[in-house]
Amino acid sequence: MRGSDAALGAAGFAVFVLLGEAVPRLGLVDEDHFPPAGRIAGALGRELSDTAFWSALGDTLTGWALGLAIAVSAGVVAGVVISVVPWLREVTASTIEFLRPIPSVALIPLAVLLYGTELRSVLLLVVYASFWQVLIQVLYGVRDVDPVAEETARSYGLGAWARVRHVLWPSALPYVMTGVRLAAAVALILAVTAELVIGAPGLGARIAVAQTSQAVPEMYALIVVTGVLGLLINVGARAVERRALAWHQSVRGEVAV
Amino acid sequence: MLDVHGLGKVYEGSGRRTEAVRDLTFSVAAGELVCLVGPSGCGKTTLLKCVGGLLAPTAGEVRLAGRTVDGPPPGMAFVFQEYGRSLLPWMRVGQNVELPLKQKRLSRERRRALVADALESVGLADAAGAYPWQLSGGMQQRVAIARALAYEPEVLLMDEPFAAVDAQTRAELEDLVRRLWRERGITILFVTHDIDEAVYLGERVLVLSASPTVVQQQLKVDLPVERDQLHTRVDPRFAELRTRVYEQVQAAKLGR
Amino acid sequence: MGVPAGRVTSRAWGRAALRLVFALALPAVLVAVWWVASAGSTNVYWPPLRTVFGAFPDVWTGERLRGDVLPSVLRLAAGYAVAAVVGVALGTVIGSRRRVRALCEPVLEFLRAVPPPVLVPVIMLFAGIGDMMKIAVIASGCVWPVLLNTVEGVRAVDPVLAETARSYGITGVARLRDVVLRSASPQIFAGLRQALSIGIILMVISEMFAASNGLGFTIVQFQRGFAIPDMWTGILLLGLLGFLLSVLFRLAERRVLGWYHGLRESGRRSP
Repeated sequence: MRGSDAALGAAGFAVFVLLGEAVPRLGLVDEDHFPPAGRIAGALGRELSDTAFWSALGDTLTGWALGLAIAVSAGVVAGVVISVVPWLREVTASTIEFLRPIPSVALIPLAVLLYGTELRSVLLLVVYASFWQVLIQVLYGVRDVDPVAEETARSYGLGAWARVRHVLWPSALPYVMTGVRLAAAVALILAVTAELVIGAPGLGARIAVAQTSQAVPEMYALIVVTGVLGLLINVGARAVERRALAWHQSVRGEVAV
Repeated sequence: MLDVHGLGKVYEGSGRRTEAVRDLTFSVAAGELVCLVGPSGCGKTTLLKCVGGLLAPTAGEVRLAGRTVDGPPPGMAFVFQEYGRSLLPWMRVGQNVELPLKQKRLSRERRRALVADALESVGLADAAGAYPWQLSGGMQQRVAIARALAYEPEVLLMDEPFAAVDAQTRAELEDLVRRLWRERGITILFVTHDIDEAVYLGERVLVLSASPTVVQQQLKVDLPVERDQLHTRVDPRFAELRTRVYEQVQAAKLGR
Repeated sequence: MGVPAGRVTSRAWGRAALRLVFALALPAVLVAVWWVASAGSTNVYWPPLRTVFGAFPDVWTGERLRGDVLPSVLRLAAGYAVAAVVGVALGTVIGSRRRVRALCEPVLEFLRAVPPPVLVPVIMLFAGIGDMMKIAVIASGCVWPVLLNTVEGVRAVDPVLAETARSYGITGVARLRDVVLRSASPQIFAGLRQALSIGIILMVISEMFAASNGLGFTIVQFQRGFAIPDMWTGILLLGLLGFLLSVLFRLAERRVLGWYHGLRESGRRSP
């Protein structure tokens, strides 16, 4: 069954690529707007042999990884602190609910003024957007800690730090991993957005350049690269999640937030 | 009323061929309560799904009132073991009971009357406005039974309906099924793995063999129509019958 | 839920008041800190909060709200609605058939993984820079989470439930409406929620790229014109809009998914 599913999936992809070739060739859409898949592949080949492309890819990945790392550490620390201190949770709830839905792109003008096209512009947007993903999942995860386990730990005289390490953290881990996975996807979106709109160096900026110089096949090739990057990040994050949680798949829960 | 003739079901998938049911023949008369009992994993559920038109048999046929069953017929209602998963959690109890009736294009007043009557019969007249998950397991299964009753089936198929409730509730639900059967005169085909339950409920017990399933033996239950948990279960005749069924099930397990 | 108004005791009032204090305390403190810290600010980029608040009513006049905020919100609503309808419809079709799902899934996963903002230059090629472009951008970015979540939700319809529906002759439209879509609604809503944040991002981005009106356009104009306090009011307004939309979404979700939260609660009480 699984083998035939994979074959079907590959067939689906082949059809997708063939359509990408046939639709513009048959004149169903303007070739200037949507070049055939073959020409996009050619442009992709040229990109791959261009060192400037690789440095742009490096820039994007740097912004993504650094931003994600900052957001995850800050989200986890803030989440644990808020959960452990009893009244902090109630006090911060409304503030979190207010700040979280603020679209990070609202910060674009501010980032432009403060940092221009520096990496810090990218980081500001990436960190703001992904931080909430992690924080919310940590808060949900800690709330899901089995009260029996918590009381058992208390009754054995475990201190606050030991309780966090041995009870709270392992129970919340599945949620944290979900948060990291969601944050990884959001971080890529915002990294590329910042480059595209602000012009910070990276794949996004390269797409903007291709657009303004009417290099349409190159633009599509770069978009394909961002898609592949996104796919690899999703697949990778899911694999890490599965590995880290092999021991309690059954209790793994994703909260719709 | 219900005729099963030469029924067979073979599952085929990824090179493996599993024969679940082989050449089953039996019939259920109108207004009869028949229990099917057999060792666990003997294809009881497969059989019942074939009878209910949910699965297509690979051999033989099922006839309901003379017509071949080739899909879920409107004259049959199904009560599943997994009550929690067979009720729609987004609908209130009353809506759950009413939904199949809407499909039958009955008038609003008729639907309302049927729902009220069915919920009354299972003792849940007050629960129409509740969500299923607000009720206990036994009450949820009562809702499922009410839904089946309101559907006004000629034949009621019950697939181990009480396997997942506690003993106390189970006894109450068994008496409920007996009472509804007597009051309404519906034909019931009841699948269970519990021998006591089969003898207590049934007018007739069919013992099924291990998979691939055939009918191992048929047994008439000549207990009085009036049965209750206290007296029927200590009746010497009850003990005799359950011993007979028990022996047959054991024999079936060993494949004799 | 069920407490009649007449019997609300003073204790209940007390609890509500305490909750209100908890809810307002930190925001009040934060605003106060910002106010005080920025009071004497001479940094052009961080104007005193007093100045920003003072500028707010002057910048966001009725005319601006009609001319810039309303078009933005309408474009967002149109794109989001298209994405929701297309995503749910297509997702239902794909999710109901195993082979179709296997055929489409890798392509869909790829399309979802493309960061939506890069669609802006592509769609500009086709749709120019008018309203259609922005609506198309928003729709084509929002559709993937809705679509993939619907596929997942439709696929995961409980087999017992599906058989129950079949045995009671619930087929066709009734099956779709009362069984399949309701059963998938928690996942669909999770997708709609993701789509909402993507939609707001795309609304702003598409206006920053090319527009003659709209919230994103105006804010960038302020920034380019170094009208810093005005820019700040725009950032605040955008934040407020995001917050409002999320509140609206939550209200809708609570209405539609009330049963789901109850079910989960009851499952937690007696596992």
